[in-house]
Amino acid sequence: MVINTELCALSEYRIYPGNGKLMIRRDGKPIWLGSSKAFSLTVQRKKAAKLVWTQAWRRLHKKGLSETTTKKRSRRAGKVQRAVVGASLEDIKKKTAQKSELRTAARESALKELKDRKVANKAKTGSKVAKKATQSQTFQKVPKHMGGKGKRGGTQR
Amino acid sequence: MIYPQTMLTVADNTGAKKVMCIRVLGGNKKYAKIGDTIIAVVKEALPNMPVKRSDVVRAVVVRTKKSIRRQDGMYIRFDDNAAVIVNMDNNPRGTRVFGPVAREIRDKNYSKIVSLAPEVL
Repeated sequence: MVINTELCALSEYRIYPGNGKLMIRRDGKPIWLGSSKAFSLTVQRKKAAKLVWTQAWRRLHKKGLSETTTKKRSRRAGKVQRAVVGASLEDIKKKTAQKSELRTAARESALKELKDRKVANKAKTGSKVAKKATQSQTFQKVPKHMGGKGKRGGTQR
Repeated sequence: MIYPQTMLTVADNTGAKKVMCIRVLGGNKKYAKIGDTIIAVVKEALPNMPVKRSDVVRAVVVRTKKSIRRQDGMYIRFDDNAAVIVNMDNNPRGTRVFGPVAREIRDKNYSKIVSLAPEVL
């Protein structure tokens, strides 16, 4: 069950139903007061910030908050750009500034060149390859597994 | 606690500003609480308005400085004593009600006052 509670205007304690007083100021603003002590002090126009037992005072003097604040702090590694072995800082910056399309185009052209070179190489060494093929046919193939399927080493379950 | 001779502010636009209680209605009552009807005399009034100075009027007490106890044990108290001027049918003579009004008014079937009030607390 949820109990509707109000907050005391002076002490900021919870006010449970049946407790406290509701004072309504001339401008219609309601002021909840949880105890006769709070009521009396409000009528005397005492400031909550000057009374040690109120939450307002405790908040001003940072009481009971030390644990929560220290926990929250955690360090996070910041990203820093700097020169790596081969590339200087300027080089890296230039590359990041380039568009991805440019870079892919460059890569593709490089690949094409490589392929062309390979084809050219093959054409040159074509005769040698044919010779090698005739030599390789003289070797006999040895089958690896002699046993049939199913039976193998190891325990049977 | 509104006794005879108590001065109340008027929380409506009838033109009266201050009234003095001269009689508490309803049996042999010594003093009026929120929701009680009183007979009052107008002590201060605005000129050229329906209610004039020294008029004898009926009024319903809507706010008291004396705290009143709610059913749940909570107490409610206002900063001033205020009343709304009504006619013989318990309808307000003004067309507006100023300031907050206690919920006890509704329980006593002054529904017109409650509907005119800007805030019911």
